[in-house]
Amino acid sequence: QEEAQAIDQELFTDYKFSVDQLMELAGLSCATAIAKAYPPSSFTTSQPAVLVVCGPGNNGGDGLVCARHLKMFGYLPTVYYPKRPSKPLFEGLTTQCKKMDIPFLPEFPTEAAFIDELYGLVVDAIFGFSFKGAVREPFGSILSTLERVTVPIASIDIPSGWDVEKGKADGLQPDMLISLTAPKKAAMHFAGRYHFLGGRFVPPALQEKYALNLPAYPGTDCVLQLT
Amino acid sequence: LLQAFPLPSLPRKQPTVLVVCGPAQNGAIGLVCARHLRVFDYEPTIFYPKRSPDPLYRDFTTQCEKMDIPFLSYLPTEVQLINDAYNAVVDAVLGAEAEVGEGREPCAAILATLKHIRIPIVSLDVPSGWDAESGGSGGISPDVLVSLAAPKECARRFLGRQHFVAGRFLPYDVQKKFELNPPEYPGTECVVAL
Repeated sequence: QEEAQAIDQELFTDYKFSVDQLMELAGLSCATAIAKAYPPSSFTTSQPAVLVVCGPGNNGGDGLVCARHLKMFGYLPTVYYPKRPSKPLFEGLTTQCKKMDIPFLPEFPTEAAFIDELYGLVVDAIFGFSFKGAVREPFGSILSTLERVTVPIASIDIPSGWDVEKGKADGLQPDMLISLTAPKKAAMHFAGRYHFLGGRFVPPALQEKYALNLPAYPGTDCVLQLT
Repeated sequence: LLQAFPLPSLPRKQPTVLVVCGPAQNGAIGLVCARHLRVFDYEPTIFYPKRSPDPLYRDFTTQCEKMDIPFLSYLPTEVQLINDAYNAVVDAVLGAEAEVGEGREPCAAILATLKHIRIPIVSLDVPSGWDAESGGSGGISPDVLVSLAAPKECARRFLGRQHFVAGRFLPYDVQKKFELNPPEYPGTECVVAL
């Protein structure tokens, strides 16, 4: 977890990347990975409806970007975004989604069965690699519901609620994990079908410095399928 | 660029590309392009003589420098030097705001040199020096045009090999409002060949 935070720090402080730039590339990677693993034609629901659950921090921001690109790729995303930071970055991302007619739910579906009925896929953009400690409401209840959902869940960077290094055996078991920049230790406990790498922006010098040993992305793709 | 000039097809031993960046937004797009070219394993070199004071664009410059992308201190007027050193040139000098920049230095000198090079030119959005609506006569003749968001009026005069549209971010209501009718992008691609 510390290494991931150190890499992020260098990207922002030394390389002068803006959070906006990297979040856009991260969110685009997530949407691209989802489109590769779950093409619209594969949905059992009549429309390729996707529920994107966004948390209170940067992982939530990644989710908003992902939702917007999913819309561009022909999906019908709906966002649930209960705790919104009052920062221009997140306000901007929210506006972009709303202006693209992406609905924002006023309440989280109370039953897992409702989610299964309405959506063919759930994107878990609740907590990322900075997550530490206890899960605060409303996310505790949200995660309990998500744990009972039967449609596939795609987690951005870390399955929410998991310890960033050790995982969580009785926690969320997503079908897809999109690791951003590099897989975190928790990824070793990932048991789902699809593991993608995204966030193709780490400069070669940084990859070497942290001995990331990232495999090569194909061509100009912004994602790499690991499993 | 990768679609038009895939790495294995490049004539020179090293996948070198010269990215010429103007003082405004088109130049900034060139900086971002250079950075991604580096990620895609090309060897870009940048010529960026008149740097914008805009903090966002200054950061783009830092990102390129930190990725070990060299910045030329001058553009050789001896065209053969450019033809020999690079496989292609990315023209990110002037965009649709061209009327302001074209006559002024250093853009005029750059364009004068680019007119005579023999290696392919890839122009971003508008071939630099062309009027965004009526096109250009006697200006540069790019091999590849990458129209951003949607083709500009002057693209009708484009005579090069390949025309791409890139910048897959236009919301549907903007597309409808301005009657843009952009082509369909395949799958999750962010570029489509016209």
